[in-house]
Amino acid sequence: MNTAILNNQVPVTVLTGFLGSGKTTLLNRILTENHGKRIAVIENEFGEIGVDNDLVIGAEEEIFEMNNGCICCTVRGDLIRILGNLMKRRDKFDYIMVETTGLADPGPVAQTFFMDTEMQEKLQLDSVTTVVDAKHIWQHIDDSDEAREQIAFADVILLNKIDLVTEGELEQLEARIRSMNGAAKIYRTKNAVLEMDKILNVGGFDLDRAMEIDPQFMEPEYPFEWAGIYNLSAGTHQLVLQEGPDPMMKVALVPVNESTDEALKDAVEPVVMVFSDDEHELSAGGTLQPSGQLIALNLTADELRFDVQIDHPSAYALFTEHHPDEFQAQLFGNSTLVKPVVEREFKPDHEHDDEVTSVGITTPGDLDADRLNDWIGNLLRTKGIDIFRMKGILSIKGEPNRFVFQGVHMLFDGRPDRPWGSEPRYNSLIFIGRNLDRAELTEEFEACLA
Amino acid sequence: MSRLNNLSNRIVPPSQLRENWTATISDHVIDLAWSPDGKYIAAASVLGPVTIFEGHRQAVIHAFEGHEFGTMSIAWHPDSKVLASAGQDGKIRLWDMTSGKATHSLDGGAAWVEHLAWSGGKNPILASAAGRKLKLWNDVGDLVREFSDHQSTISDIQWKPHARQLASIAYSGVTLWDPQQSEAVRRLEWQGSSLVIAWSPDGKHIATGDQDSTVHFWIMSTGEDLQMSGYPTKVLELSWDATSRYLATGGGQEVTVWDCSGRGPAGTKPITLSGHQDFLSVVRFQHHGKLLASGCAEGLVYVWQLRGRISSRVVHEAALKAGVTSLVWSPNDQFIAVGDESGGVSVFSIS
Repeated sequence: MNTAILNNQVPVTVLTGFLGSGKTTLLNRILTENHGKRIAVIENEFGEIGVDNDLVIGAEEEIFEMNNGCICCTVRGDLIRILGNLMKRRDKFDYIMVETTGLADPGPVAQTFFMDTEMQEKLQLDSVTTVVDAKHIWQHIDDSDEAREQIAFADVILLNKIDLVTEGELEQLEARIRSMNGAAKIYRTKNAVLEMDKILNVGGFDLDRAMEIDPQFMEPEYPFEWAGIYNLSAGTHQLVLQEGPDPMMKVALVPVNESTDEALKDAVEPVVMVFSDDEHELSAGGTLQPSGQLIALNLTADELRFDVQIDHPSAYALFTEHHPDEFQAQLFGNSTLVKPVVEREFKPDHEHDDEVTSVGITTPGDLDADRLNDWIGNLLRTKGIDIFRMKGILSIKGEPNRFVFQGVHMLFDGRPDRPWGSEPRYNSLIFIGRNLDRAELTEEFEACLA
Repeated sequence: MSRLNNLSNRIVPPSQLRENWTATISDHVIDLAWSPDGKYIAAASVLGPVTIFEGHRQAVIHAFEGHEFGTMSIAWHPDSKVLASAGQDGKIRLWDMTSGKATHSLDGGAAWVEHLAWSGGKNPILASAAGRKLKLWNDVGDLVREFSDHQSTISDIQWKPHARQLASIAYSGVTLWDPQQSEAVRRLEWQGSSLVIAWSPDGKHIATGDQDSTVHFWIMSTGEDLQMSGYPTKVLELSWDATSRYLATGGGQEVTVWDCSGRGPAGTKPITLSGHQDFLSVVRFQHHGKLLASGCAEGLVYVWQLRGRISSRVVHEAALKAGVTSLVWSPNDQFIAVGDESGGVSVFSIS
């Protein structure tokens, strides 16, 4: 997987996404904005596309299992036939777009470019780009393997149709997608409008760019499930709850500048810090203040009523460990119900343990080559089917150069990269897949340290 | 002893193949076919046009427009008076050599018609494969039969030598068809993707080259199959020698030749012919003789003399300016025609 230019390989972008997500709009945009370049489009779903000079070919998804003892080694026979023929033409294409159906599994598509010698020689898989309908994806994300796989496989994700949802919904969706795929670049778009250099030639499978990932920023896990901004007047308000699923709930109340999505967003990071502080327990009947302290509400009394003391009228953000609905929590001021002006849910990782997640590992130190080999080999043999993508940089003991790798299912591609030099040596890798056990992966990886 | 060995294995440098003529067509030669009477060579460009050359001198007899979007394959009627072509416009065309015109344009049944094969015998039948559709036509363009759809795209078809039985391959095995029956007459199941088919000339075996870097060898009398693995790449090159003893295969840089005599190639060590420095694109035995021609992506053509594992050697060679895409022997085995990636068509003489 050397760079395409060196080998005269034609780059390929695989475009996935559910029907109606805006895939075709994006494709049309790519064809129009790159007018003059020869772009071939291979489509599984016939839409209304086509620009002069471009070639549109319809393909019928045909998955070929490879009899090499690996159940996840599948390729797309239709793509091999069509692309093989295209690459015979002298007036080669500058770029190839492969549009898959909403129900296509991106695994065989990606593997086609690594498992077939002819494809490997002539083409360079540049990226898997997934278009997500920000409004309707929720219908699929929990019950469709394809939707989750398309997100998990992606190098680039377009959250499209953002004009149809609120900022809060977008934040929530982005957090959910991040938890599934911590390595993808996520862009918010309306009508699939995006600069071309963010979609074409992004080098998602290029080892030279494998180090651009930084797992430390990949997985926002929020310690709270909900936040809302209230406009509160001076005086004493009441927070009233009912018995819920937990005898304790951590909350934090902080003043914010205004009651907007932006202000709520700005408050998230500081409050994440607050939630890592020691908590102050507060029994029913006690007084909650906008102190920026972490308060643990004790919810074991018969009557769950807390005073909220406000000295200055302002906008205040309340962050709660659980969703307030679980406790039928309500805020009253002078016996009138006060509703949040802005609110947002935070979906914590732990709710989706059995699904698609990213596991990022970053650790200093050198790895024992033999132990690492054994571990990776065994991991791919036993869990390859569940590992959709992986990439990273490794520091191997005794090797002056960084080792970079990437993989799709059981296919692994790695090589020494530039020397570490005076840079501190470290390891940074990410796995994206289904049923990944973070603790186990981390522990096993760390056991490979020399 | 060592001296004797040296003497007997003395390397005789291969002779250069003598080029009779060369010409260029519009693009990559996707198919090349020598007419059964030896008079013409048809060369199809990946862009569509099909050029008919005289076999023994550089002269264009006809320039057929072929197929919009690209021609996929061509096949001569056994009487050499009609050429059939198939392409990415979903059509099969019959070209009349006398008038130089297309007499029929037939619907293959899918966007790409990829394979054609004429049966032998009286009133030859043309088989066409387009996607999952397999159709039979007579030589005046009438649809003789349309078989029920295959489960996946047909990757190759071939008539059994000297018989009216057609074999087709697709993902999941080989299917045999009789033109008189609408249902398949036999299925040879294998859960894998076969790409090319080759009947042994005696009709006793079918070999397939496969996507997963193997060669399958079917024994027709028992329906048993053997699988030969160890190829570096998928196998798209297969050729039987006239005696049905040797099966030459590509699938990498070395030509691998299996001896299928006796109990077959199972457990035997094949003859490997090394020399090409790039992936093979074609291997082809003479129609009647023992010479084997091979061509590779680097543009080298070798003609091998097969003499067992140790003393097989290259007897003739030629270097083209572009990668070899297709190679055919003249019906009398005295010439080879070679097509290349940049549209070159060259004819070399062996003697």
